[in-house]
Amino acid sequence: MVRIFGESPAKKKPAPKKAAAPPGEQGLLLYIHVPFCKSRCRYCSFHSQAFNQVTYAWYLKTLLMEIDIWGRRLQRPAVQTVFFGGGTPSLAPAHDLDRIMAALRQAFRLREDAEISLEANPDTVDAAYFRSLLAMGVNRLSIGVQSLADKDLALLGRTHSARQAVAAFGLARQAGFANIGLDLIWGLPGQRLRHWMDQLKTVTRLKAEHLSCYGLSLEPKTALAGMIKDQALRMPSDRELANMYVSGSEFLESQGYIQYEISNFARMGFFCRHNLGYWEGRDYLGLGPSAVSTIGPRRFTNPRYMDAYDAAVRGGFVGQDFEVLDKAAKIREMVMLALRTTKGLDLREYARASGRDLVKSNQALVQELYKNNLIRIYKGRLRLTKNGMLVSDAIIARLAP
Amino acid sequence: MDNAYIRNFSIIAHIDHGKSTLADRILELTGLVGERDKKNQYLDKMDLERERGITIKAQTVRIPYRSEDGGDYVLNLIDTPGHVDFSYEVSRSLAACEGALLVVDSTQGVEAQTLANVYLALDHNLEVIPVLNKIDLPSADPERVAREIEEVIGLDCAEALAVSAKTGQGVDRVLEAVVRRLPAPGGDPDAPLKALIFDSWYDSYQGVVVLFRILEGRLKNGERIRIFSSGRSFEVTKLGAFSPEAKEFRSMGPGEVGFLCAAMRDIGDAPVGDTITKPERPCASPFPGFKKIKPMVFSGLYPVEPGEYENLKTALEKLQLNDAAFVYEPETSKALGFGFRCGFLGLLHIDIVQERLEREFQARLITTAPSVAYRVDTTSGQTLNIDNPSRLPDQQEVAAVYEPFVRLEVHVPHEYVGGVLALCEEKRGLQKNIAYLTSTRVVITYEMPFAEIMYDFFDKLKSQTKGYASLDYEIIDYRRADLVKLDILINGEPVDAFSAIVHRERAPRFGRSLALKLKRSIPRQLFEVVIQAAIGRKVVAKERVAPFRKDVTAKCYGGDVTRKRKLLEKQKEGKRRMRRMGNVEIPQEAFLAVLKAGEET
Repeated sequence: MVRIFGESPAKKKPAPKKAAAPPGEQGLLLYIHVPFCKSRCRYCSFHSQAFNQVTYAWYLKTLLMEIDIWGRRLQRPAVQTVFFGGGTPSLAPAHDLDRIMAALRQAFRLREDAEISLEANPDTVDAAYFRSLLAMGVNRLSIGVQSLADKDLALLGRTHSARQAVAAFGLARQAGFANIGLDLIWGLPGQRLRHWMDQLKTVTRLKAEHLSCYGLSLEPKTALAGMIKDQALRMPSDRELANMYVSGSEFLESQGYIQYEISNFARMGFFCRHNLGYWEGRDYLGLGPSAVSTIGPRRFTNPRYMDAYDAAVRGGFVGQDFEVLDKAAKIREMVMLALRTTKGLDLREYARASGRDLVKSNQALVQELYKNNLIRIYKGRLRLTKNGMLVSDAIIARLAP
Repeated sequence: MDNAYIRNFSIIAHIDHGKSTLADRILELTGLVGERDKKNQYLDKMDLERERGITIKAQTVRIPYRSEDGGDYVLNLIDTPGHVDFSYEVSRSLAACEGALLVVDSTQGVEAQTLANVYLALDHNLEVIPVLNKIDLPSADPERVAREIEEVIGLDCAEALAVSAKTGQGVDRVLEAVVRRLPAPGGDPDAPLKALIFDSWYDSYQGVVVLFRILEGRLKNGERIRIFSSGRSFEVTKLGAFSPEAKEFRSMGPGEVGFLCAAMRDIGDAPVGDTITKPERPCASPFPGFKKIKPMVFSGLYPVEPGEYENLKTALEKLQLNDAAFVYEPETSKALGFGFRCGFLGLLHIDIVQERLEREFQARLITTAPSVAYRVDTTSGQTLNIDNPSRLPDQQEVAAVYEPFVRLEVHVPHEYVGGVLALCEEKRGLQKNIAYLTSTRVVITYEMPFAEIMYDFFDKLKSQTKGYASLDYEIIDYRRADLVKLDILINGEPVDAFSAIVHRERAPRFGRSLALKLKRSIPRQLFEVVIQAAIGRKVVAKERVAPFRKDVTAKCYGGDVTRKRKLLEKQKEGKRRMRRMGNVEIPQEAFLAVLKAGEET
């Protein structure tokens, strides 16, 4: 693989901007949901539907209308990131994505340095496609590799091979993508520590800028969860999983990947700004069926099914049915999201928002967490260690008010 | 009324053998309850009773009956509770009767737990009529069951009645047999009033309602009565009988069973077993056998949330109005905060109280393991009553510890004698007697520390004897024993709610077993949980619950935030059933682990 791609390409790195604009001017995070997949993966419980031309055309038309509505409603606000997620956004033909991009530029003020990401599946892309993406302004790719072992891919119900995934990465690079992220899943049934470490070794040789390593979680009602329940498959032990996580993270750091969130690693300057924005509690606008938005204290979710989504957009009442997050919910989310990042929770910000001192009101707990190497407090921030991240649900449940 | 035409009887039956169905059928047959207002288990008033199929409070019903010979009789059916925790109430109810129907399921045969009440009836010289029920079922074998009753109990079954309470077949014969075979009550109507209180309860409109049976003399509405033990007098404001609705009478005489209200505010004003007489002409002696009911088993009740303390207090106050055997007082636990130490008759009683608190008062409780009350002589010359093991003073301050002893009688078929003896010996019992009632029926008498039967004795006895043992016990005295306090430390901190008082020799084994039981009931959590059992400063057992290593949501992006937060909130809610001590979360079951600590592990 090294042979194919040579040394690290990526010469036109976008320089990481350091809070260039004042907070109000930083702009929205924009998420575009593309709810289509070629087939459903065995572990996935997200909303997606099988691709068909009629529904897709309907979707595209409605999405373009929705973009227009929001642009007007928010008076063409600044946008700092765009993220095409799914589903499988790369199922959308390049010319359609181009139309969407054009519509976005018309409705919003896309900042010049905007991060524009797109999730791609290895078996839906080619060189021309990647070139088109670059041409329309997409500057970050997130490729769903999931595993570099065909056996694992078959188990997960993926429709591509490991070879295809590696090839897709190569094509993207050759096309000129300088910011590529690869998604991997660890902790698969039957997987052992050494399998995972071997994968990571192989993957790091590709020299992607960004790696997301998601521990497999068994979502209820997925095919995979059923197979585990029927004991056709067995999950690795807690201990094995913990070792995979800790050893894996340490290895990636030794290879120059900085862990910036529970499941996310990147070379310096390549943290995903869009996703970081979620964890930092920034406003985001989600477009497309089932997309979620949070703007100020308001949170709303678009209708999931096309007919209802279409009706909401046509009727102009999309986003009108919102929930107002109260102070308690906001603070809870702040703790929950900030503790996912390696930067951690800003204790002063917490105190300002809640009127309470997190450390003082949980003194014994904080002490015990510290003693057990689960948290660290440094320069006014409380963050989870690697071992702490492994049990972050439990820690957050205890620390969140 | 002429007491020659009165019959007072109760029905003795094992759960599910058809006592309530038979009672329902009798009420229908005599026209007391019409088809319309029929409700199964008419006599069992509380929901809890209906659900569990047991009677907690006694009930009576006065049944007018014209017999085949044309006589107009009054039959008083006295329904009794059926559990060893309430054996005193049973004995008082039986004392109000001249006879009893022994209902046995003819598809099953005599069940062990019925026997204790049959013997109690025979002890009170009651005439017992065997009734073989469920003969409508294909598997019924009344001949075999009749033989069994003769062999096991020694009752003559030549005239046993075969009935189906369900279909009503043969129930008319039962009523005739009650009239013909049970003796009429005696009693001189002109003697000073002597009436037995066999049950009482608190009603928010009437005050205390007293169920009584007149032995001698007469009682009129409006008269003043005196409660023999307390000497307090009250004016009768209501006098009558349940038939089944309350029916008032101006006057009642010997042999009659009824209820009265007399503006009593406290259920303690009319203790079960006490005697009612009149202040101006009292009877010379009370009805024998009065015992003040004393709680025997103590347990801490704590609100799950400290904020619910006041609610719990109100609930306990209300509950006590209706349950003379239940007592409570505030206590504080280092581990559990503010709560109450409560006294009960036995384990079933705890169960019932706990369930009523949760059901009728929506109280959410942590119940600590039950304990008996110990007497302690201190080196400074004091005598303490210790009903909470954590209050046992340090060893160097203790001169002597005394524990309550019971006399225990186990009725058992002879093939199980060996097993029962082994069990009693294991439980520090002292053998007193082994008597063969018949060639197959044995009564084993032991004296034994009460604490030993509290834990797993019943379960063990049941499994040793395939359920064919019945037992009865009474507290006889306190005896000195070599007892020590076993403490449980969680992460180095003693948890008072887990303390137990155990025999010194057995303490280490008990400690190991308790620590293991705790380990199994405390779920893995964020931090390691170290459980130690200690006697004084000596640690006798140590277990650890390893922390879990992985509990993480891999992805949380914009669309996941609400769901994740709600999950978090739900998780917080779920944790409320747990008690947090320091950084350890302890589920309710753990507090009862001490009950099972004696079991083999």
